[in-house]
Amino acid sequence: MSTTRHLINRQRRLAAASAAAAERTVRPSAERPAADRTTERAPRTDTAAGTAGATTATETEEAPEAPADPEARGRRRTDRFPLTLALLALLTVLLGGFAAVAAGRASSLRDDSAANTALTDTARTSEVKGTIAQDVNAVFSYDYTDTARTDQAARRVLTGKAVQQYATMIAGVKAQAGAQKLVLTTTVTDTGVEMIDGDRARVLVYADQSNTSTAKGASTGSTYAAAMFAVDAVHQDGTWKIAAIDTFG
Amino acid sequence: MARMRFRSGAEPVAGATDEVPDPPEPGGPAPAAARRPLLVVALALAVAAAVAAVWTGTSWYAAAHDDDTSFARTRDTVLAAGEQAVQNMNTLDHSDLDHGMDVWEASTTGDLHSQLVQGRTDFEKQVQQAQTVTTAKVLSGAVTELDARAGKASVMVALRITVEAPKSKPSVKESRMVGELTRTADGWKLSELGQAPMGDSAPSGTATPSPDGSPTSAAGR
Repeated sequence: MSTTRHLINRQRRLAAASAAAAERTVRPSAERPAADRTTERAPRTDTAAGTAGATTATETEEAPEAPADPEARGRRRTDRFPLTLALLALLTVLLGGFAAVAAGRASSLRDDSAANTALTDTARTSEVKGTIAQDVNAVFSYDYTDTARTDQAARRVLTGKAVQQYATMIAGVKAQAGAQKLVLTTTVTDTGVEMIDGDRARVLVYADQSNTSTAKGASTGSTYAAAMFAVDAVHQDGTWKIAAIDTFG
Repeated sequence: MARMRFRSGAEPVAGATDEVPDPPEPGGPAPAAARRPLLVVALALAVAAAVAAVWTGTSWYAAAHDDDTSFARTRDTVLAAGEQAVQNMNTLDHSDLDHGMDVWEASTTGDLHSQLVQGRTDFEKQVQQAQTVTTAKVLSGAVTELDARAGKASVMVALRITVEAPKSKPSVKESRMVGELTRTADGWKLSELGQAPMGDSAPSGTATPSPDGSPTSAAGR
């Protein structure tokens, strides 16, 4: 009998405690769940323990004590638990906020400037400058006695949109070259790398062009012109190629 | 019966002592089990946030203290300052001469600055007579050299300059400007400015000084 009673009491306490746990967040007061439990408990005690007065006495003795127990525990935890949660939440928000700010600053520092490695990557910068200067000299120099050299250079260094752009630019020279015995010489005087981003680059080019005609009867002599344009370059097949020519038109 | 009663009477006491010190008592685990997932989730979130904060903080610090990044930023600052200064030096309105010349002086430093200050009165007279309005548009620009420690830099700026004079069509010309900048307390300023010279063999070129009051002729070499 004592075992049964013990079990029943335990079950009750368990139920009471879980009820209290469930209500904890809603009820800050310790009195109400305790009161609920005593009223709940009273009829049950009778069925379990029979009519013995002593039993009811012990039960009433127990009643205020037992609920006080989980309640007291609950209160201790109630005090700490939300506080812990709140602190953790606050910590999460603060750390998360910092992370967001830091990520933004870091990426703005990197995105704005560092993605462009012109001058910071000295090797690549001088590689781009050297290659583009050579290429421009090669494709914009034209000798009526050796047109194949220019054509070869054009095939070698031009790609994409630049092929068509170049064809349009050089067409006039080609048309007159034979008759006027033209020799066009382009010399790049200054190059400035505006941007290098991985396999793409943009180079500002200043070049001098001399145009010499040796045909008899034609206005012989040389004319000079100053040229400036920008070149979009791409790194292809291990070398920099001219992908677009911007004449600022 | 008395024994039984005694036992049953003693029982709550035993039960009570059971409950308080013994954590695995039935009263304990249920709420703990309910709390644990919440705590674990909260803790996991906090730890995740801490990891993210450390990660991004390190990345921020690295970006802010990275030599390449700071050099790249200086390069962009120099280019912006250079393009602006070169444009300023090729912009002048005869009707707003004083302001224009102040901007010129503010854009320059060193010898170039002193030349401007010295020649200002004469130059203003010329521009007032010519009644020109000069405007410039930056087409493209690049930093060609940068010594961040010494505070020296070279820039190329491709310009389109429009000069409007009364009784004549506005003249538009493209100009290959080359400038040198020096770092001052007020930022990067032009210490030299001119047009890129044509090749030695060239008998004529764009570097011809224009007598029409074009600012370049005064500011250039």
